[in-house]
Amino acid sequence: MKIKKGFVVRTVGGECVAVPVGEMSKNFHGMINLNGTAEFLWNFYSEEHSLDEGVAALLNEYDVDESLARADVERFMGILLKNGFAE
Amino acid sequence: MDSPNNVEDTQKLKIEEVLLREGKYVGPTVGTSMLPMLKQRRDTIVVRPKTEKLKPLDVALYRRGNNYVLHRVLYPTESGYVIRGDNCYADEIVPEEDVFGVLTEFFHKDKHVLCTDESYLRYARRIVKNYPRRRFWMRLKQKIKNAVKSVLKFFGWKRKK
Repeated sequence: MKIKKGFVVRTVGGECVAVPVGEMSKNFHGMINLNGTAEFLWNFYSEEHSLDEGVAALLNEYDVDESLARADVERFMGILLKNGFAE
Repeated sequence: MDSPNNVEDTQKLKIEEVLLREGKYVGPTVGTSMLPMLKQRRDTIVVRPKTEKLKPLDVALYRRGNNYVLHRVLYPTESGYVIRGDNCYADEIVPEEDVFGVLTEFFHKDKHVLCTDESYLRYARRIVKNYPRRRFWMRLKQKIKNAVKSVLKFFGWKRKK
């Protein structure tokens, strides 16, 4: 899985927001608020990685149990896939 | 660790609703009316809710029918504003109630610009001050173009593509 090209991540008032640019902005004009974990996963999945690799990366970065990490990665990628932001 | 946000809710909101909920709207720009400051689908705008009467040089976000417009305030009036895009040649009179946001910062390419920066304000003052000159050259260019067209038409010539 990988986040599609056509987004830039901006830091505004200390908060991270992903914003569409170019062709992507023709279909989606909104903003995607990213908290710390989402920002980490967003950056991680800017390159092709599997779900297991995302879970491993999250476990490496945060002190969290595997089931929660897996649930969060699945939820994050599920939302992105559903909205057409990832492939 | 905080769980990743849910992006589904925000996607379907109107900008006014996003401003109310988030306190800011961060998004792409569409259109050429604020060139050269904002290039469409490349630059990012940061708009915050209007909390007070806007001042000259502020960039207002307002509704025109079903569209959102982001143009510069030339001066406030009693009931609203006289507004013009940096790359436009006509003024608009916009009622106060149509204006709901103000540009507070933007990203020009990757350069982050605050609308309180002195260099930005110098740019804004210059763009407003140079308007009569820009309009003069634009009209002159248009007249020359029309004259060339008339000459070509008179002689039955066609321009090479």
